[in-house]
Amino acid sequence: MIRGVLAVSLLVVAAVMTGCSKDPLTNLTTSETQIYITDRDSNANFSTYKTFTISDSVTVINNGQAVREINPTDSAYIVAVKKYMQQSGYVLVNSNQSPDIAVDVSRIYNTSGVISYADYGNYYGDYYDPYYWGYGGYGYYVPYSFVYQITEGALSVDLLDLKNAAAKKKIDFIWSGLIRGEAVFNANTADEQIQALFSQSPYLKTSN
Amino acid sequence: MVVVLAISANAQKGEFKFDINYNYSLPMGNFKSNIISNGSPRGASGDVMYSFSNTISAGLGFGFQDYYQKYPRAVYQTGKNEATSAVLSNSIQTIPFMAKIVYSPLASKAAPIQPYVAGGAGFSLVSFTQTLGEFGGTDNGASFAAQAGAGVFIPFGKLSGSGIRLGADYNYLPYNKNGFGSLNTLDVKAGVYFPIR
Repeated sequence: MIRGVLAVSLLVVAAVMTGCSKDPLTNLTTSETQIYITDRDSNANFSTYKTFTISDSVTVINNGQAVREINPTDSAYIVAVKKYMQQSGYVLVNSNQSPDIAVDVSRIYNTSGVISYADYGNYYGDYYDPYYWGYGGYGYYVPYSFVYQITEGALSVDLLDLKNAAAKKKIDFIWSGLIRGEAVFNANTADEQIQALFSQSPYLKTSN
Repeated sequence: MVVVLAISANAQKGEFKFDINYNYSLPMGNFKSNIISNGSPRGASGDVMYSFSNTISAGLGFGFQDYYQKYPRAVYQTGKNEATSAVLSNSIQTIPFMAKIVYSPLASKAAPIQPYVAGGAGFSLVSFTQTLGEFGGTDNGASFAAQAGAGVFIPFGKLSGSGIRLGADYNYLPYNKNGFGSLNTLDVKAGVYFPIR
């Protein structure tokens, strides 16, 4: 009888456990699943950078393979990045006008392993030919480390230091913004997402 | 006289009693200020007690409680120069197992309302999930747990060994992980009890 009562009571508690627990992941809207991560080179003095250039296409990185593409959604993100870079005080110039900063936008898909920005930097030369920026022969350097296992889509915005590339003989990452979660690639929310990256990075502001 | 003395409605010496309760829990202290401030309506508890006398019983208590809270999007410092904007969610489940003792001074007098005080000590399984957006993880472990409580037994009738239980417990649960100090709570419960013969 005692064993029976204990068994029934444990069953009741187990039923309460499985039936009544709130699962955090099922209680999020699509927007709430998304996280915006930013990191920067602590040695970079952003007030010394005045101009920027941005590619008119995005790099699509899928399990280590990269191609350049442009579609309406990509265009929405490029337009948003231009907007918030200019609102931060930077002047948009062409790549042949010796810009201080190069801006890259990437769509990242990775279904296996870990993608880290240290690795990302190693692969960066494959995705972004340094000759594109006029600094052929220079490698890229990432002073900070994002280490994330990306098994879904992510959007990355990277700022590269061209101003000091010749002196340092390398192209440094000085700021990165990463957007992860569900339904990241959405033209309707591109402006809001890019604004969030810049809002949490007030140190990016410069003056002209 | 013999018939009256035989009416010990709640706790007859040498008898097992079982109770099952709905439990509402309020986080206290560090739990409330740093992890989850919302009360939890998702819980249950139960005891299997043996009456050593008409007023004192001891046995085993167990339970389950689920706590959850989602916070509006905010920016968190997640590294030296790294910031993350996210909706933070905390979810905690506790499953206590305790040795318990209950003292009910009016149990032998067949009073219509029989107050009691209770205490217990044991351990609690703790599962803590924290997510930023849809990203995060779960930490599972066990912690010492202690409890002090009071309430009333209300027998269904003078001759009944079954009835309603209403009570409140303060639960002490130290939790020295991730910078959090404790998961203490104040619980209120309502349920039924009955003898196991």
